[in-house]
Amino acid sequence: MVTKTEESQLNKLENQVENGGGGAWEYLCLARKLKVRRSDKVLKYGLSILNDSRKRSSLGPDEWTLYEQVAVAAMDCHAVDVAKDCISALQKKFPESKRVGRLEAMLLEAKGSWEDAEAAYSSLLEDNPFDQVIHKRRVAIAKAQGNISAAIEWLNKYLEIFMADHDAWRELAEIYVSLQMYKQAAFCYEELILSQPTVPLYHLAYADVLYTLGGLENLQTAKKYYSSTIDLSGGKNNRALFGICLCTSAISQLARGRNREDKDSSSDLPSLASAALEKEYKLHASDKLSVLTSTLKCLRVSS
Amino acid sequence: MGLGFTVGVIGVLILGHAAYSTIQYRSLLKITEEEFSGPPMEVVLELLVGLLFCMWAALTVPGKFLSVHPHSDENRVVSLPENVDFMIFNHRGRAFSSEVGLKLKH
Repeated sequence: MVTKTEESQLNKLENQVENGGGGAWEYLCLARKLKVRRSDKVLKYGLSILNDSRKRSSLGPDEWTLYEQVAVAAMDCHAVDVAKDCISALQKKFPESKRVGRLEAMLLEAKGSWEDAEAAYSSLLEDNPFDQVIHKRRVAIAKAQGNISAAIEWLNKYLEIFMADHDAWRELAEIYVSLQMYKQAAFCYEELILSQPTVPLYHLAYADVLYTLGGLENLQTAKKYYSSTIDLSGGKNNRALFGICLCTSAISQLARGRNREDKDSSSDLPSLASAALEKEYKLHASDKLSVLTSTLKCLRVSS
Repeated sequence: MGLGFTVGVIGVLILGHAAYSTIQYRSLLKITEEEFSGPPMEVVLELLVGLLFCMWAALTVPGKFLSVHPHSDENRVVSLPENVDFMIFNHRGRAFSSEVGLKLKH
């Protein structure tokens, strides 16, 4: 989870490195630790360290981790030659390594030769049938080829064995949302919230899915989850604040024909949310404040 | 940091002195064969002073305390890490030519 301090630290380091102030190695370490995908910068600054033999030797044993990081970044930027060179350097150092074997298979994937990559992964799996990363790469191959149903099947099989893998559940939820299978996506997000209840972004995604599904109970549950997101993120999540206003307006539209007893109990929540939104907009985007107030007025008037 | 450290050492010495006084008082009471109900008033006062010094030193010497609230402004989760295990490489970024001449030179 990337916290606010870590994100600001990363941006500061990035600015520093881009303006020529040094600190490239700290930036690369932080990017690796936070698992952000800034492949172009990682490639540029990683190569600048690796090409300088003095800086390279000062890294010590971390040099090989840097080779791996630069290889993956090069594959992401489609600089296949750089990736190949890095992987051959790693292979010279660690000849029988499974980790390097995995990188080679990823290189085949990046080049687009899916069958060779598939064969490489299967042979790696024969030696080590419980390697989680290789199972996940097979799902990635299916996804990259556009074969989403095969990706879902592989991922479900993977999750039957490794039920505690949050990344896999998150990936499955995102795939279901992309296919508009919202009930299954809601199930995946429920699993995520059960295992990591303090991450507000899972609550937010679950609330979004419930709001998309629609229906009175789903909208009420979505409102509760938007509120819990606001609670867990200290009130700074604008999307959740908007979500509360939209949910309230949608609920009151649906409940217009029915009795409206339960609406009065929480009638100050949407007004509080809109007040918080207006404050945020005044602080960060004061020229759009008029658009915001007119939108909020429409939401309340039409209810 | 130096001041806090010194204050901490003084606090520990005060506590040690209080313990020594209590032991002396107790041996005195053994000579006069009275009951040992508790240390005398001065020693209790000394103990309190030593406690205050040690607590102040313990709070100031380690340095800045970090926030533990998960929803405070510096600790709140801003974004989730990218799913690196499921990363695919045939995205639209292939069409952008990155800087020419990026090469591993050895």
